[in-house]
Parts: sequence; C-alpha cells; structure tokens
Amino acid sequence: MSFVDARQIPEGTELTPDLAIVGGGPAGITLALALARTPIKMLLLESGGMDFDPATQKLYAGDETGVRYIPLDATRLRYLGGSTNHWGGWSRPLDALDFEKRDWLPYSGWPFPREELEPYFPRAQQLIEAGSFLYDKLAHGELPGALLPLGPGGMYTSFFQFSQWRGNKEHLPTAFGHRYADDLKRIPNLQLMLHANVTGVRLAQDVRWVDHLDIATLSGRKFKVKPRHIVVACGGIENARLLLASNDAIAAGIGNQNDLVGRFFADHAIPRDTATLVVFGGEIAPFYKTNLDARGAHFRATISPTERFRRGRQLTGALITVEQRVELDGLGRAAVDTTSAVLGTGAGSAHAYSLGVGLELTPDPDRRLTLTTARDALGMPRLKLNMTISDHDLARYRISLIELGRQLLAGKSGMLKLQRSERAEWLQVMDWGNHHMGTTRMHDDPKQGVVDANLQVHGLANLFIAGSSVFPTYGASNPTLNLVALTLRLAEHIRGLFR
Amino acid sequence: MMPSRRGAIGAVVAAAAGAAAIGYGGWRLFGRHYAPTTYDDLLTQLPDRDMAMPIGRAFLATHANFTTTQAAAALRARLHNRDLAAVSISEIARGELSVAGGWMMPATLLGLCALAARMQNRV
Repeated sequence: MSFVDARQIPEGTELTPDLAIVGGGPAGITLALALARTPIKMLLLESGGMDFDPATQKLYAGDETGVRYIPLDATRLRYLGGSTNHWGGWSRPLDALDFEKRDWLPYSGWPFPREELEPYFPRAQQLIEAGSFLYDKLAHGELPGALLPLGPGGMYTSFFQFSQWRGNKEHLPTAFGHRYADDLKRIPNLQLMLHANVTGVRLAQDVRWVDHLDIATLSGRKFKVKPRHIVVACGGIENARLLLASNDAIAAGIGNQNDLVGRFFADHAIPRDTATLVVFGGEIAPFYKTNLDARGAHFRATISPTERFRRGRQLTGALITVEQRVELDGLGRAAVDTTSAVLGTGAGSAHAYSLGVGLELTPDPDRRLTLTTARDALGMPRLKLNMTISDHDLARYRISLIELGRQLLAGKSGMLKLQRSERAEWLQVMDWGNHHMGTTRMHDDPKQGVVDANLQVHGLANLFIAGSSVFPTYGASNPTLNLVALTLRLAEHIRGLFR
Repeated sequence: MMPSRRGAIGAVVAAAAGAAAIGYGGWRLFGRHYAPTTYDDLLTQLPDRDMAMPIGRAFLATHANFTTTQAAAALRARLHNRDLAAVSISEIARGELSVAGGWMMPATLLGLCALAARMQNRV
C-alpha cells in the first residue's frame, strides 16, 4: 500500500485503526514491521515526509538552560526514519549491569534483567544491519591486529559494531525511512500517513483510556484518529512533550500524576581529548582507530570498565575510544622515555593518541524537559530542557582512566596522561551523543515510573510508549539497537492484546 | 684537506678507547656531570637525570609542600635494597601512582624526578 499524505485527508475525518503508531522513527518502523503478518489494522502517523523539510523540523525548536546542550531542533530529525537519518550507526547491547538496581546509583534499575531482551537482539541486529551479533566475542577470535596489552585490572577491550546499509556503496548506516519504505508499503495491514502531526492525546471521560488522537497538518487540515491501542514512538524528547501537552483532562499531562514525565532526561556525555594514550611499542592496532570489517561485522574497539570493576568502584558505564594520533611535547617525551626505561621496555617508536569517551550519566530528576508558553506552528507548547552533568559523573570516569593508565604500566605496554581535572575543563570539550533517554521512564511502581515493564502508561489501558525515553538507567551503549530490541518485545505484547 | 696518516691513526685509537670505556661501564667518563649532593644514592637510580628534571618540575608545581629531606627519607625507605624497576612494578600493581603534568607514573619514580628537579634548583 502506498503512503498516504495527511494533507489530503478531508477535514473532520475520523479514522479507526486497531493500532495507531505515533512516529516513524526506528521504534515506530520496527513495530510496524514486527506486526506485519497479523490481523491488526495499523496506522503509522509520521509528522514529516520522506525527506528533510525546514518547516516541519522547526516544530522541534525549544529552549535550553543549564549545561550547554545541542539546540532541540538540531539534535534530532523529524521525517520518516527519524534520527536514523543522521545517526552514526554505532551499536552495542547494554551490559547486564545496566539493568540492575544498584544501591549506590540512585533511581537505577530496569524492571527486568537483560535476559528479557536477549531473544530480541538477533532480529534487532538484522534490522539495524550491523552484521553478525558478535560484539565482545570479537576479542576471542582472529583480528587484524593485536589487542592492546593491559595488565590485570578493571578495564578491557570491548567492541562496537556498526549499522551498515547493505548494498549501499557509501557504507552509510541504515536510515530506517528510506531503507524500509518498500517493506512498509508491502504490509497489507498498515497505512502509513506522512505529514500527520499528533497534537493531542485525548482521554475518555473516566481518564483510564485514550479516546482519540488529534491530528493536524502544517497546511491547516485537522482530523481525528480513534484507535483501540496507541503506541507513542516520537523519540526521547517528543514523547514527553506530547504527554505533557495533552493536559486537557489531567492538568499535569498524561501519565504525569507523579510528576515524572520529562524528568530524568539523559544523553551520553562525549567529552573529547580526555586523555593521551601512549603505546610504547608503536602503532596501536587499526581497529582501535577506525572501523574495520572482519568475521561478518563492521566493528571498532572501545575500552571499558569490566562489570566487576564497575561494581567494586561504583562506576557508571564508559566506552573509551581512540580519537586520533597526537604528538608528544617535551614533557610527554620525557615522561615516556623515563618510565619506559625504568620498566625496561624502551619507547623509541612510541605512538600517542587522544582518547574520547561516551559516558553514562547518573539519573537526575532535575535534568528535565518542561513546557514553555511559546507555541509552535501547530499550537503545541514548546519545550525547555534543563541540562545537567554532575561532578560525580566526571569523577567516576576519571577512576576508569586511572585504572587504564595503571594497567598500561602493568602490561609494560604504555602509559596515560590525564588531560582534564576541573569541571570547566571538562565542559569546554563536552559534546553529546544525541541519545535522548529517560523522560518516560519504566518502573513497576507508578510513583517511580511513567510506564510499566510492558511499556504501558500506568493507569491508561491502551496507551504505550516505545523508544529510549523509557530507559530508566542508560548504560554507555548507544541506544538504537537496544530500543529496537525493546520495541520487538513490545510488539509481542501487543500481538497478545489482539489475540 | 685530507687527514694525515698520523692523525687518522690517532682518531681510530681514540674511538676504540671510547667504545671500550662505554662497553665496560665507563660511560661516566663521557657522561653528564652533576654537582655532588647528599641524595646521589637516590638520584643514580634515575635512568637520565636531565630527562627526569622537567617531570619533577611539573610535579613540584602542584606539590608545594614537597620537602626534600622528608621525601628523600621516604624514597630511601621504599628503595631499601631494591632497584627502582622492582619498586615501580610493585607500586603499579598496588596502584601507587602519582601524576605530574597529567602523566601517571609510579610514585617512587616521580619522587625521584622531583628530587632531581629540586637538586637542579640548588646547584
């Protein structure tokens, strides 16, 4: 079935699908694909078209306060495929520890362990086109180069894999909209509507059920969708906005009786040039510096704290990557030559590299999205983000770096220079992952979460949320693979609702 | 101008003597000279004092309370009957590292570097 243009839908129309999927990003598209061979009549509502449109993108504009962050209309994309239209393809499953409640990490823990997601990873890996599901298994087979020799300790070489649009000669990551457009058109039980903006989720009188969705187009057309079930999958920022802005029946917004919607916003902090890694023996193996193909995977090494070390030192996740080769200054040369001479190794051909990292942030209720009085072209309230990063998060990462430095010396393979110590120094080199998480967090207890373990909004029988906005703790891994796996699990639950 | 036969023989003899001296540990004949200090038993553990000094200066820049006599006593205790390599390896294993200009190094090695820098200041 070809895609429908919402601008052609007659004013006042009321559509009645079994399932409305709000948002055509990786979560929404995954859900539609997963429910393709079911009798469930689906309507996927996408705000944008097939390609970037400035007027639609402007609907994302908002304000930021606190720590400098990316403008809200630049950190995501609003057309079919969502932010997979600009992602880098970096993929890695969350660690088992990321799912655990940890007494030393406030608000931590998912309502289920990683094993619950395991069955969905293979299919998720196929959908993102990241090749064989290997990740840390890559360390145990043949590689084009040697692993960085580290002495015993808390850091180890782990691996990212990369989404790579098969058959695409430019080796771009999979952009879900264009990649799956034809597959979506072939789904007989799916109607996919472009340029359809959901401007309100309207509750039934008993406020325990969603009655309908208000739809508007930028051309001024308005109509309703009255589905049996709804999955909101607009991304980690917009999911919260839609719930907060749908405040006609419940003043605080839908699912927000306990003031949680929009709170706990998270992204991965990506400070650059955080340390200098010196390899005494010369060049580091190429897969630390760049993406390589081997054993059916497009991969790159990262250095990460082990689960044991994280538990012992109470650390959040960190995935350290080699950025680029750098030159040693006089002090660096003296430190390297003196240390390597004492260790009896020599470092005449030493190479030095800058290290970046992807850092997990501690859940923080004050890192949050709120509505402002400003409105977009459709009359929707705009958002303000208050961004924070705690000194504790930076200090935790420093512990991982110090351990890495120690293990390099213990392995007599190299040494480390710490580049940042003061908060201002860290903030100066801070970048962000564009990985929006946490704003409709998952928890069995409605006082601590917006959705339950089945991603159903607490207290609303037919409303579900998909995407990384439900992640209650974030890990350091990039979210796309994980949110796709979680959406496949949701698809199974929804299939059960229609049996 | 071509060297004379006598000059050429002299140069060969001198080079051979130099090589022999280096080979038998006589590098001190040609090496750097430092003013004697009361800490030479410690400073001779460093592979290269000149190289150690900038590291030591970077360390001292952030350790204003570094006291030469106290530091030397602590270093002697740590190095008692052991060489610097062995001490460094056990310090690394125990995580006893210090930082100078961001560089993470075994604590005793860095203490020696600081001592070398301090002695340079005194000469």
